[in-house]
Amino acid sequence: MTLKPKISLGIGILSIFVLAVNPVWGQEGKTTAPAQAPASPPTKPSENLPDAPSSSKTAPSLSDLGFSPEETEANARQQALLDKRTHMLKIHQRMGLITTIPLVATVVTSMNAGGRNTSSASRDLHVALGSVTGDLYGITAYYAIRAPRMQGTETRGQIRLHKTLAWIHGPGMILTPILGAMAFNQKNNGEKVHGIASAHGPVAIVTAGAFGAALLSVSVKF
Amino acid sequence: MPKRKLAAFLLLAIANVFAADRQWALKQSTLTYHVSHPLHSTDGVSHAARGKGVCHDGECEFLIAVPVKTFDSGDSNRDLHMIQVTRGAEFPMVTVRTRLPETAAASASVKADLEIQFAGQTAQYKQVPFQLATQGSETRISGTIPATLSDFKIDPPSLLTMPVKNDIPVRVEMTWDPQ
Repeated sequence: MTLKPKISLGIGILSIFVLAVNPVWGQEGKTTAPAQAPASPPTKPSENLPDAPSSSKTAPSLSDLGFSPEETEANARQQALLDKRTHMLKIHQRMGLITTIPLVATVVTSMNAGGRNTSSASRDLHVALGSVTGDLYGITAYYAIRAPRMQGTETRGQIRLHKTLAWIHGPGMILTPILGAMAFNQKNNGEKVHGIASAHGPVAIVTAGAFGAALLSVSVKF
Repeated sequence: MPKRKLAAFLLLAIANVFAADRQWALKQSTLTYHVSHPLHSTDGVSHAARGKGVCHDGECEFLIAVPVKTFDSGDSNRDLHMIQVTRGAEFPMVTVRTRLPETAAASASVKADLEIQFAGQTAQYKQVPFQLATQGSETRISGTIPATLSDFKIDPPSLLTMPVKNDIPVRVEMTWDPQ
């Protein structure tokens, strides 16, 4: 078995392990059961506090303030949806951080994968790491795409940049391996990389840059 | 007879004046929570609080309530996560109750015992200092409530495996009008 299938097999096993630990995929399509009832009613205030409020007849109540029922009533279904959304986005975050490792390694090994004096072993390593990166990227993207959307919410803040950058690194992660495969075949045939295949490097750099910027956009404030 | 009727009417009117409860209404408010993380800090602001105070026998009971979803930190993703982690869909309102002497309105500062209901939990805060300033008929109150995540049993959110700080002080600025 050559190196690439071994790596892919390893990643497949790793993915299964990750999913086993976080069985959201298995529950895809189901909504978590809504809470049977809200949490236990708030406890009564301590009577030791001299100025603590008491439930006297003159005390105002929530109904006096004029909030609408939609603002005051519990919505267990929406809470379950929020819980699912947060869970999936946490996996998205975790997988995104994991993906960074083989991505950086792929970029590093690209220096020995092209050019005139390169061995097939160097190219194979670059291909294998690129494959791992692609697999993990796909898993990362899945959890972001499939996380529930909250209706009526307008996207604001740095998250807008994070979502916009996906339109760069998303197509890039598809195009890069395609161009890479073309370049790989040309090199294996003893040819100099030419034509559209020569765009593999620049496309990969732009993709990696967009990926890094996307990670920073949700990590630091700017 | 007309004099007796007039006297009775006056006595009743005076009695009504002294028996009437004085009320306060929240005219304007700014509530700001502060969350700290090693990478950056965040403030979430709400102007949607409503409040009412009822005074009786020299003592006033206040209720202030604000919907959890009205807090805006500038990032919609962060706000949604905040609602989720504070169980804001199950417990949509933050309510604050306190009792103050009616004479407190004339003071420059006051210390209040607060009962806060948030995220399905109730927490008590003793002797929280507030500053008061009277402008015309309005009374402006400002102060900071030393709230923490653990007081309300909220799991600290984390970013890049690092959790936020437990302290989430809430800055309160309110303008009250007597009714």
